[in-house]
Amino acid sequence: MVERLDSYYTDFVRTFGNVLFAVSLFLVWGVLTMIGVIVDQGKDPSIYFGSYPAPIARAILRLNFDNIYHSPWYIGIIALILTSLTVCTFKRVIPARLPPLRPVKIDKIPLHASFELAGDERSVRERVEAFFRARGWQLRKREFDGTEWTFADKHNWARRGVLVAHIGFVIIAAGTTLYWARGFSGETVVVTGQAVEIPQTKAILRLDNFGYSITPVLTKGGMVYQPTDYVSHVTVTGNDGVPKNMTVRVNHPIDVDQTLYYQASYGFAMRFRVTHNGKDVPALSQRVLMEGENFDIPGTRLNVAYDRFVPTVDRQSGMPSADPRVNDPAVIMTVSDGGTQAGSAIVPLHTWVDLGGGWKVVPSNYLLYSGFQYRYDPGVPLVGIGALVLVCGLLISFYFLPARLYARIDSTTGGRCTVGMAATTVKGYDMFETQFRGLVSEFSAEAS
Amino acid sequence: MNGHLQADELLMIVAIACYIFGALALLVYFFSREEWLRNLGAPLAIVGCAAQFAQLFVRWELTGIWPLLNLYGSLSLFAAMSVLIFIIMAWRYKAWYAGGFVLALAAIALAYGVTWNEGTMPAVPSLQSYWAKIHVPIVVSSYAAFLVAFVFSVIYLIKYYAEDLFEGKGILAAMSERGTRLSPEYAVASAALADAGLPTPPPYNIRQDTPAIDAAAASGNSTATWLQSLPSLAQLDVIVYRAVAIGLPLISIGIITGAAWAKEAWGAYWQWDPKETAALATWIVYLAYMHLHTRNNWRGLRTNWVSVLGFAVVIFTYLGVNIWISGLHSYKV
Repeated sequence: MVERLDSYYTDFVRTFGNVLFAVSLFLVWGVLTMIGVIVDQGKDPSIYFGSYPAPIARAILRLNFDNIYHSPWYIGIIALILTSLTVCTFKRVIPARLPPLRPVKIDKIPLHASFELAGDERSVRERVEAFFRARGWQLRKREFDGTEWTFADKHNWARRGVLVAHIGFVIIAAGTTLYWARGFSGETVVVTGQAVEIPQTKAILRLDNFGYSITPVLTKGGMVYQPTDYVSHVTVTGNDGVPKNMTVRVNHPIDVDQTLYYQASYGFAMRFRVTHNGKDVPALSQRVLMEGENFDIPGTRLNVAYDRFVPTVDRQSGMPSADPRVNDPAVIMTVSDGGTQAGSAIVPLHTWVDLGGGWKVVPSNYLLYSGFQYRYDPGVPLVGIGALVLVCGLLISFYFLPARLYARIDSTTGGRCTVGMAATTVKGYDMFETQFRGLVSEFSAEAS
Repeated sequence: MNGHLQADELLMIVAIACYIFGALALLVYFFSREEWLRNLGAPLAIVGCAAQFAQLFVRWELTGIWPLLNLYGSLSLFAAMSVLIFIIMAWRYKAWYAGGFVLALAAIALAYGVTWNEGTMPAVPSLQSYWAKIHVPIVVSSYAAFLVAFVFSVIYLIKYYAEDLFEGKGILAAMSERGTRLSPEYAVASAALADAGLPTPPPYNIRQDTPAIDAAAASGNSTATWLQSLPSLAQLDVIVYRAVAIGLPLISIGIITGAAWAKEAWGAYWQWDPKETAALATWIVYLAYMHLHTRNNWRGLRTNWVSVLGFAVVIFTYLGVNIWISGLHSYKV
């Protein structure tokens, strides 16, 4: 039993500690990510059947490609990558990056050179060591089987670069986990003059005023209406119970008791004046409807839906204009009778729609509403630190090349010595070839 | 105002002209190795690059709007940074021979960017942030570094497969071969080089990573002589690695700064927006490149194919997502 478990563990470590396995996981991760880029996410199934042939649409839905980033495949591949990262860190990165000092067969290492110099072993060794020490190499000496070896290391500390990068990932993962465990987020919509209570914090958010700026710009392609500002003036009451006037803009969230509030959207809420036989029906007329909301006409099978606000109607065509500024406003209304659509129309504000049976509806006035996102994220500092550590790890790994030089000095006849020199790096030999060539040339020139 | 805009356009014309003529000169230099062509092409690349940075600065100065908030501006910086990174690498690694390809791609990017120039537009609210001055240049610079890596990878692959052709295998056989010749086996080659009349080797052993080309060049084959004038496969591979080593940290920082900006603008680091996720896919490909580059039997041919694949993903991320897929990053004009 123990042997079998040991065997499973060995197989697990061998598989997950394999760099090619990790790269294969990256590949699958990349492909899944790209699928999410190409396939629209979170749409109604009918959209996929409208955009793709039926077999592909079915495959998209069955394989969760319509919500791929929350699918078992995606979460599973990230879990496998994190497992691989952990195994690689402990089984490959740490042991491989801190190699012990050992003798080598000089001529078996691709980057090697040998010199014959005059002098006894001690004086030659001193010259070799002085050469490397002058160039910032860290020198150590060890004796193996009666032969003394000199080891010269450069950027030895940078061997930990990959480890630092891996630790960065772990810290980021810890930060995001902290958010999942203790943070929260949500969205809310507030109509001008109204207030909402945030369920998680009990803070009260009142929208005093919302404004937006749109600048018409004449471009080569025609008139473009460029939005340039969205601003919500709010009164916020937090834990201290003191109402505070604050301003929320895109890129400028407000902080209320460590929960941040972001300007997210805006729109036009509508009041519809409803009359029956010329008399106002206050219960319906006082309601404020958001785009997409509807109401029933009492005692009938009629339903009136407020589909969309049209800020400007083109006077000539009677169709919605591209101008998002409120000039000649209208609403798009749909009337249904017993669940069947009876008609849809663009209705200018203050214009009656006769529904029959003495019922009339008029879109009377609009109110701007502002959409806010709010988020409490205690993991932000950890994620920030993790990102910094990750970048440091990458920079260390890529820009500092740890190299080790091995020097062995053997006495030969005639008061001369042979200096064998070899170099290894953590990134192969090609990366260090130029520097090694330079070192050899310099040493050759100095020693002779 | 009109006069200023003319100055802006004039600088753009200078840049495009320098890139086109520089590309022609350096492309011919790539094949002929005539020194005067390099001496002509290199200054043109430098002048074109300087003109582009000046153009971006003038545009910013005159309109008061950060010029990188649309595809025209970002492609302009992409071209300028590609040339700048190339100039630095060419100077560092004596690699002007690749300049024709880099300048040609820069000219194409610039010309394509001009088609997206709709004039001066104020920034939408989400782009009115100091992050625009940090995130955008970093990401665009990473793409530029990947372009340079792509060019050197293509040269690597040309030389690699040419070696197979000289060995008589044929291109299909060469492409189907999965092995790598970049094993760390260095042959002591002084005798062979001396026989071939080539320079004496330095006092350490060297690798013959293209022996068939070397042998054909020694026997007077002009194509082989030209191929031999290119750096060794190992040197080309190192240049590609260096370019990716510029691009990968930059795109990492770019994704991180983008996440920080998203947090500030929308409240979440990550929105699974197509541009974000495509950038993540790009990052994954180059991360895979770096991991594969640690393996002796993957370093070389395979990693250079990964670099080519990576650049295809970069183009999709940079242009494809902006143009074909709508999302939070659809700032085309």
